[in-house]
Amino acid sequence: MKDVFLAGAALYQAGRHYGKNIDDIAAEVLDKALSDAKADIDALFVASSTTELANKQQILGAYVLEALGLDKIPVYRVENGDGSGGAAVALAYHALRSEEHNCVAVVGVDKPNDVLSNQQQDIYAATLDTYFERYFGITPLSYAALMAKMYLKKYEYKYEDLAQWAVLMHSHGAGNPYAYFRRQIKLEDAVNSEVVSEPLRLYDIGPLADGAAAAVLCNSRKEGPRILSVATSTNTAAFNLRPDYDTLYSLNEAARRAFEKAKITPRDVATAEVHDSFSIFGVLAVESLGLVRRGGALAAMKDGDLPVNLSGGFKSRGNMLGAAGVYQLVEVAWQLIGREFRRVDGSYGVVHSMGGVDKVSTVVVVGV
Amino acid sequence: MRHESVPIYWRNIPHYYRLVARRCKRCGAVYFPPVAKCRCGSTELENVELPREGRLVEYTVLHQVGTDFLKQKPLIVGLVELSNGVRVAGQIVDAQPDKLAPGAKMEVVFRRVIADGKHGLVMYGYKFRPVGGI
Ligand SMILES: [Zn+2]
Repeated sequence: MKDVFLAGAALYQAGRHYGKNIDDIAAEVLDKALSDAKADIDALFVASSTTELANKQQILGAYVLEALGLDKIPVYRVENGDGSGGAAVALAYHALRSEEHNCVAVVGVDKPNDVLSNQQQDIYAATLDTYFERYFGITPLSYAALMAKMYLKKYEYKYEDLAQWAVLMHSHGAGNPYAYFRRQIKLEDAVNSEVVSEPLRLYDIGPLADGAAAAVLCNSRKEGPRILSVATSTNTAAFNLRPDYDTLYSLNEAARRAFEKAKITPRDVATAEVHDSFSIFGVLAVESLGLVRRGGALAAMKDGDLPVNLSGGFKSRGNMLGAAGVYQLVEVAWQLIGREFRRVDGSYGVVHSMGGVDKVSTVVVVGV
Repeated sequence: MRHESVPIYWRNIPHYYRLVARRCKRCGAVYFPPVAKCRCGSTELENVELPREGRLVEYTVLHQVGTDFLKQKPLIVGLVELSNGVRVAGQIVDAQPDKLAPGAKMEVVFRRVIADGKHGLVMYGYKFRPVGGI
């Protein structure tokens, strides 16, 4: 089977883009990525979580191609909630490995700011079990809070230890030209921010932002960042029936398979972009990915920097929902080659894209 | 979400009103939400009502809520382990959050979940409260 290379990519500034429709920003970022790749595509995968609910659009891919005058190209929409991006990358990768296609584009896009913040809560809550969780007012934030509370107790940390996650993310994100909040913060800023679902405070939440990212992947190149493996796994235990609350099971399994296929170990990872829609998920992701021991992520942060979310993560870069996984892929690839980001010292990077509260995770291993 | 669906609500009433779960006839595993097939492989599952008492596992006070819950916020969201060992997540009512603690005795109560202003549809379901009140 042929290898899959990142031939070109583009990122859209995260933010509130009230002046543009969702197909506008998707087309803009795709056009840039195609110019960057200097390649034609023979399929388009669109990752998006909320086009129906927030933007009132279906078959988005066709309207994106219409904007660019690209005719007769197959389009596929991929929806796995806020893990849509990783899932679309996985499908694109398989399409190229099987040689059904030679060059494809993956566009991740979401515009949550087309609706009000309480409607955003409704939409995000639909990533949970809509009949048994969302119906009763439960949201991903409240589950993250329960998991944070149990984690802090179990491993005997203080809230201040968890708040360091936001500080670290902002320190990383300050160097990301596409980040939503591109500035350093102090621990006091996080610790004194308003309580949103105790123990979690405002700075434990990755703010929802409009954004789009595009990656052009080809199986005919021989240079540039290469996708070494992709694996997706699903955790089917209901939140209330989970065996424990400090393992991300979907990630655990996806990571095991992805590392095995890429023939590397977590020790080889120079940079990782993990799904930290809430600080606690980032902490758990670092552990479930195998980068640090169980219960050890916050202690590792005290001992020094973690090469995790050099983009600033969801807290600083922003939470672009279905687009996030595509941003993460491009960020990791660019960090490995020193484009737009400071070059990391190493050959391997990992992406973790997650949908819902540990419902589905995709892990992508990138190498140079 | 603005204006819930009547058919969806109607068909879920047994679960919302009486905590109807699915129990595997072969191995006894209980699933709530209900599943079609037991993890042991059996498809022979029967409806059972969950017990109405249990203990609090953990809880949080949620201040950011969806459109249906703006008038009720903040919500106390908790995880309760019922007397048969099955955990259920839901809202906790009739409680002062700072007096709640893991291990507290809880009971199931039947309450209004959503009052849909525009169509006047009121929807109900289970919630939890501390036994004896606090
Ligand atoms: Zn069974």
